[in-house]
Amino acid sequence: MNSGFEKRLQELPMREIPGQWKAQIVAVAQPQPAWWREWLWPCPRAWAGLAAAWLVILGMNLAAGKNPSRPGTATLAFSRQELLELRQQQQMLAKLISPGEAAETEPPRQVPAPRSERRITVIAI
Amino acid sequence: MPVPANLERLYDEHAQALFAFALNLLRHEADTRDILQELFVKVARNPRLLEGVQDPRGFLLRLAHNLAIDLMRRRTARDRNEQWAAENASLFAPADDPDEKVFAGTLAEALGELPPEQRAVVHLKLWERLSFEQIAAVLDISPNTAASRYRYAIDKLRARLRPIYDEIQ
Repeated sequence: MNSGFEKRLQELPMREIPGQWKAQIVAVAQPQPAWWREWLWPCPRAWAGLAAAWLVILGMNLAAGKNPSRPGTATLAFSRQELLELRQQQQMLAKLISPGEAAETEPPRQVPAPRSERRITVIAI
Repeated sequence: MPVPANLERLYDEHAQALFAFALNLLRHEADTRDILQELFVKVARNPRLLEGVQDPRGFLLRLAHNLAIDLMRRRTARDRNEQWAAENASLFAPADDPDEKVFAGTLAEALGELPPEQRAVVHLKLWERLSFEQIAAVLDISPNTAASRYRYAIDKLRARLRPIYDEIQ
């Protein structure tokens, strides 16, 4: 089917692909490693050691948490007591600074009388 | 991570043909390199792309053709003219014989004057030795269209090269 002209064209040697392209193209075309592998790549053993150390620290922390000395409770009780004392001090201070105002503001306390002094009122109908 | 062995094998088997085809279409060496790069990246990142493909060469030529057409569409007419002026990459190997050199140079010019769709058919028919059915499959056209494009293109090339061809003969 091919004429002499077409055969003549076919005989012309095509240019060769530049040799250095192969290394460049194949290097770029190779699949990229996963992001986590890229992070760990320079020294994976060092990262693994660091991770193990953190796991040990975490384990120790959890083990210590199982038997707590509950220091928080003591602190709480102490702080309540302190708060009460502070409130009393404030009241005393307020009385000393302005006794009139303190008398006005504070309602008179009803001190219960001794039982012997109680008056018994009997109403006879 | 090691380079997949089949990628290198694929390169060794098909890169030369893909290079010649893309260079004939694009007429620019850097663009041809970009197309080949893109093609092999695509194949490497989608290893299943070639699974079940009976004719890998045809499949890769089709991929190269599509990438080249996309690149040509992205280029404006001004870019193409500047590119042509800056570099009209030779498609043929340098020849020692002066007649051969003139013939190859004129043929390269004549190919450059053909529309890309005719140039693609001529390349696949002459230098890849594909049948019109195979060309049709690569270029996603009918075999009749492939045959008619080939005839038009060969007539143009013959007319353009006749003086030199007759002289050489």
